[in-house]
Amino acid sequence: MDPLNRREWLTHWGMQGLAATALLDLWKTDGLARELTDPARGHQTSLIPKAKRAIHISLVGGMSHLDSFDYKPELVARHGQNLVTNEKPDIFFGQVGQFRRPDWKFARRGQSGLYVSDLFPHIARQADLLTVVKSMVTESANHTPALFFANSGFQFNGFPSLGSWLSFGLGNESDELPTFVVLPDNRGGPNGGAANWSAGFLPAENQGVGFQGSAEPVKDLFSPDPQGRLADSNVRDFLEKINRRHAASHADEPILQARMRSYAIAGKMQLSVPEVGNIQGESEETKELYGLNDPHCSEFGRRCLLARRLSERGVRYIQLFSGGPIAGSPRTSWDAHESVMENHSSEALKIDKPIAALLHDCQRRGLLDDTVILFTTEFGRTPFAQSEASRVGTGRDHNRYGFSVWMAGAGLKPGTSYGNTDEIGWKAAEKPATWHDFHATVLRLFGIDHEKLTYYHNGIQRRLTNVHGTVMKEILA
Amino acid sequence: MLDPHKHNQNLALFLALKPFHPKKTTAMNRIFLKFFVLVAGTSLSIHPIGQLQAQTDPSFFQTNIAPILASKCLECHSGTNIKGGLDLSSQASALKGGKNGPAIDPAQPGASLFWQRVSDDEMPPGKPLEPAEKQMLASWVKTGLRWPAGTMDRFQFTTAKRAGFDWWAFRPIATRVSEKIKSKPSNSNRIDDFIDLKLQESGMSANPVSAPHDLIRRLYYDLTGLPPSPEQVSRFESDPSDQKYNQIVDQLLGSPRHGERWARHWLDVVRYGESLGFERNEPNFKIWPYRDWVIQSLNSDMPYDRFVKMQIAGDLIEPGLTGTAAAGFMVAGVHNSVVGGSERMRLLARQDELEENAGVLGQTFLGLTVQCARCHDHKFDPITSREYFSIISAMDGVRHGEKAFENPQVSLKVKALEFQIQTGNSRLAEIETAARRQLQSKSAIPSESSDLPKPLAMWKFDSGVEDSSGDLHGELQGSARIESGALVLDGKSGYFRTKRLTKTLDSKTLEAWVQADDLNQRGGGVISLETNDGQAFDSIVFAELEPRKWMAGSEGFSRTKSFQGLEEQDAASRAVHIAITYDSSGNVACYRDGLPYGIAFKTSPSRFPPNNLQILIGLRHSPAGANKHFKGRILRAAIYDRVLSPSEIMKSAAREQGFLSESDYARLLTPDQLVLRDQLRRQLEMDQKTRLADANQASEKIYAIVPNPKPGAMKVHLRGDVTEFGPVVAPSGLKSVGAGEQWGLNEESTDQERRLQLSTWLASPSNPLTSRVIANRLWHYHFGTGLVETPNDFGFNAGLPSHPELLDFLALELQNHQNRLKPIHRMIVTSRAYKRSSKRSATSFAKDAQNRMVWRHSPSRLEGETLRDSMLAISGEIQMKMGGPGFIDVEIIDKKNGTTYFEPIDPPGPDFQRRTIYRFSPRGGRSTLLDNFDCPDPATTSPRRSVTTTPLQALSLLHGEFSVRMAHSLANRAMTESWNNKTDAIRRCWALTLQRSPDAQEMQDSLALEGSNGLWAVCLGLFNSNEFTVIP
Repeated sequence: MDPLNRREWLTHWGMQGLAATALLDLWKTDGLARELTDPARGHQTSLIPKAKRAIHISLVGGMSHLDSFDYKPELVARHGQNLVTNEKPDIFFGQVGQFRRPDWKFARRGQSGLYVSDLFPHIARQADLLTVVKSMVTESANHTPALFFANSGFQFNGFPSLGSWLSFGLGNESDELPTFVVLPDNRGGPNGGAANWSAGFLPAENQGVGFQGSAEPVKDLFSPDPQGRLADSNVRDFLEKINRRHAASHADEPILQARMRSYAIAGKMQLSVPEVGNIQGESEETKELYGLNDPHCSEFGRRCLLARRLSERGVRYIQLFSGGPIAGSPRTSWDAHESVMENHSSEALKIDKPIAALLHDCQRRGLLDDTVILFTTEFGRTPFAQSEASRVGTGRDHNRYGFSVWMAGAGLKPGTSYGNTDEIGWKAAEKPATWHDFHATVLRLFGIDHEKLTYYHNGIQRRLTNVHGTVMKEILA
Repeated sequence: MLDPHKHNQNLALFLALKPFHPKKTTAMNRIFLKFFVLVAGTSLSIHPIGQLQAQTDPSFFQTNIAPILASKCLECHSGTNIKGGLDLSSQASALKGGKNGPAIDPAQPGASLFWQRVSDDEMPPGKPLEPAEKQMLASWVKTGLRWPAGTMDRFQFTTAKRAGFDWWAFRPIATRVSEKIKSKPSNSNRIDDFIDLKLQESGMSANPVSAPHDLIRRLYYDLTGLPPSPEQVSRFESDPSDQKYNQIVDQLLGSPRHGERWARHWLDVVRYGESLGFERNEPNFKIWPYRDWVIQSLNSDMPYDRFVKMQIAGDLIEPGLTGTAAAGFMVAGVHNSVVGGSERMRLLARQDELEENAGVLGQTFLGLTVQCARCHDHKFDPITSREYFSIISAMDGVRHGEKAFENPQVSLKVKALEFQIQTGNSRLAEIETAARRQLQSKSAIPSESSDLPKPLAMWKFDSGVEDSSGDLHGELQGSARIESGALVLDGKSGYFRTKRLTKTLDSKTLEAWVQADDLNQRGGGVISLETNDGQAFDSIVFAELEPRKWMAGSEGFSRTKSFQGLEEQDAASRAVHIAITYDSSGNVACYRDGLPYGIAFKTSPSRFPPNNLQILIGLRHSPAGANKHFKGRILRAAIYDRVLSPSEIMKSAAREQGFLSESDYARLLTPDQLVLRDQLRRQLEMDQKTRLADANQASEKIYAIVPNPKPGAMKVHLRGDVTEFGPVVAPSGLKSVGAGEQWGLNEESTDQERRLQLSTWLASPSNPLTSRVIANRLWHYHFGTGLVETPNDFGFNAGLPSHPELLDFLALELQNHQNRLKPIHRMIVTSRAYKRSSKRSATSFAKDAQNRMVWRHSPSRLEGETLRDSMLAISGEIQMKMGGPGFIDVEIIDKKNGTTYFEPIDPPGPDFQRRTIYRFSPRGGRSTLLDNFDCPDPATTSPRRSVTTTPLQALSLLHGEFSVRMAHSLANRAMTESWNNKTDAIRRCWALTLQRSPDAQEMQDSLALEGSNGLWAVCLGLFNSNEFTVIP
């Protein structure tokens, strides 16, 4: 097969059954699959990949752009006034109170002069590294569909997430760690749970692997009892022997070869997974930087540090969630219906310092050259308070019409912003950007044309971007 | 899926193309005119034969012209959104022309605008016709554009871009085989004729038949999903004759294990899952009767056409438990039980649900992705958006719900018990009232007859559920019961519901005397007025938003604000009186024990429609479940159709001061009365328990279609948008599959008429897709790849059949065997093609790595379920109990936060050692072993599983608690069966796992491992081996 055909064959390899699977596994370990599935090499219109890995920080519940990255002087001026419109906003609870000014002061930061509010004092100091998209829009003002949409480009479960698509498209850089690792909040999984990092209809190996915060971050890494641990290497030697003899009489059957290799890799993982989780070797300065000594942020700090370590070892995609399940009282996510001040203060305290540390640390280690850090949320929050129309309440409702996210690192123009909301920060007004646009741009950073990364399912060649998506070229370096 | 974005762009583009500027139009016309004059002079070069034919042959148009028009012109020039206003689907419309005037001119055919544009390569835009096509059109033009009457369908012919009605899958099933097959020396099995011919044509040689050992293992795993015993294998090895093989085939097809194995395949396709999906993803414990029905139907070899019909309309065809369970197919998918506040979201959720259902229905039975036509005509297959809405109209009566089925014997028993309970209650009430009277005579409590406000309805629960003030009687629901003059609620399932109330209640007062079992409970409703679907309600709610506080609950908290009252301290130790008043301008006030509670507030007034209202006591709103239930006792509750004044509330609060504590009874009753009261209460408690247990059996509730009998009109939703409507469509099937609008139904038709028609159409013998699709599925599961490699899609975008004649032959065989599947299974597994060895030949592999020509039997990795079942069987732990509720190996965590979490657990014990098909399988209910071995999540249909090999898979099989436990069990079993002789035990482990003995080297390695770590380690190694996990 010529390389292009092989590439095509691989793109549709889910249709090819066992033999192809096994072959792909073998090629992968040879580095061949990477070459073949790397569109930068496979396609004539070569897109230069800038990013090799991503660390995605996903804020559950909806962070207020108006109180963080989207400065609206007009909103300050209109504080206490009523929204004048004929439209019934598609928000969640339906209460449209008076306009509320941001609860934090904004200032221009660094050389770039990007606006970041005092909600994130540490991140603000890294503003020159950020590329803020201020004109995001989404299709649902409901948590679960909105989070699915942000992750997979669809509002329903059953569709592969961005991490799975990257895993599918690019394979693994490391043969000792999973391609896609998820680090959930210790308060619990986000709404929709593991469906958020599902491989959907892509082969199961592309699904996110949740690392637990325990001594054994990957399930079944070791035998469950001491007797088993003692026997482990002997069992694997025995297995290797009987498999090798069996293979001798089944010459070149790819599935058999692949299975034998998978046990060898599993053995390596037993060493590499505890190694990556062991942060004791990190310097005191680094631990301090990530806030490991600060009880407010040590939990998220540990995950940020772990993310850096996983990324250094070649894990393609690492997703961290800030926020646990939706609802409940007090809230365990960014869902500031009652009080933005109270809720966002406590949530930001957990993540501000660690994220700033991650940015700084990755930069000084040169990781930002080929790693992209993503900071997203389900949707924004309304410029008007969530209260009766005669009052400025303290909370804000969901806002799907406009919100902010940022990216940093490989292939991006740092210290810039893209698009804008209207003067009160309600709706995207300049260069509205959808999740499909966002996903297309991220894939582009990895050298992938979002229209070409496809997988046949339910009658069509499915894409992460459905039938939409435009790369935000302006933010590319 | 919805693509409104794209469509809007298309629409915008289309509008932009419309000439709005008169000046421009004139300019364009001038250009056309010039062009017209220019080309009219050029002579037409015409093929003489074509010309002759065009003049004489009436079918000339059909054969030569229609295909060109349909494939090259009608995509834009017919249907809706017609380009340039020109419709070329009939002579009449072509004559009428578009914005540039008539397209054809019969008087001067050569000068027709149509021909000018085509001959000048201007049309089709950017893709001019082939010279031969142009020549054909030229002859047609020259001879006067003879155009038969009627309208052409643009889907009539397959084009380079999409399938038409002539696509292979829509053609009738061929009833005769080609000469090539006929002339072949007939094999004993006709399947081999088809396969051999293709192999021959592609110059490939096939593998010989497998070794008996491999063949018989393959057969057992394939037909039953379980390994054969060592004895079964050795018996066959000693007599591997065709006769013996055929005997085993019959025996396995007759085994109940067969239905369990093949039902798993079916459940993959129909995305059978036991939770509702979406954000709440509540567990669904009552859908398993559908799973059992599938297993039983496959075991009894139900004819496939009936199998299809029952799944669409079993509840109508065979009313009762069985038929209703069968139709579980229609409600086995996801169901959005959280629908946001806005009307748009509600409509969207319903349309999404219908799309999901229609998509699975189309793919499962027809191999067509009908869901793709929700927003636009199908891009690749001849399915219009209109037809899509016709199909969902046929399914629109399907609503999710629960249905109860009575067991007459048990329900008689329940009735008797209920009578006994009622009698007991009134005797108890008698005694307790006596005590109360004594107390009343001692204190100055106003009696019932004094000047108390008159309620609209009041329930005293002294001994029954009647409205003491009017006729708004109610019924106890779930575990609710009446005891000692109170409604007793367990906080889980119990509540009280009245019959329907028809009244405008713009102002009202709700009140109740209530005692809580504990004050830490959250969210229970005490008394509620609601619309009977629970979509709108006003309720006295305890501690929902704020712990221990009373609240005026409403849908989505839309009229709810905090009263900022005090935290409740007393309601657990005594009854408190709570009242909430609502006036017509939205003022809401709360009272506790007759005094204002917190601060009254103003909100939007509630305006419930004056019909279909009901009162709930003990439940916040319908439907029951989650955290909506109150746990405690309601001594009395009432509703008033006006706002009571503070002083009236004060008086009313004092009404039930007669409520007595246990110490009061002890003080007020005689010793005899006390003994009797104790006896009665004990008896009542027992009776209640029995009644509840019996009542659960008396009516088995299953998750089922609870139809909307008159679904009404379905309109085309333009671009899938739920607010933009096209015409009303009648329920019907697809024109491409012989239905058109032949059903004679309309918007008045009932759910029954619709679904019966739908099921008949799908299962009709004249529908070629249904038989082809199932025949292909059987082939797919037997060989690993179907004749069509996309079992859910036979459309343009899918794979073409590798052996089209064979596929038709199998479909026809199926029909010839009364649509029974077992004869087809038998025919397939007895073919030489099936029996081939799996040996990989380098030359054949190079030519056909995917084995589409079936030159070998492709090796297959055990599926997750088969792997688990086999380990259970080999270790001797398997429980063969069939049917019933599934075993639950996930922890179901409902944090009352709107999402359900399913955490995998691995409990040991016989209850959990059933076959995996009986595993409770919620969506997102993960299991490490099954997940890693590619078991699909039931979120979506899985016509074909992916097969991956990963280190995580190795880890879970090597270290998972289940594997280790099974290894120990196998070791114990082998030791026992070998009288503790180590060598024999090792031999037994190999035999049970791989159905063969170890050779000398293998024995030596096994002994070494046994010596260092024990026999279980050998067993674990065997379970992980390639020979065990990959079936040749």
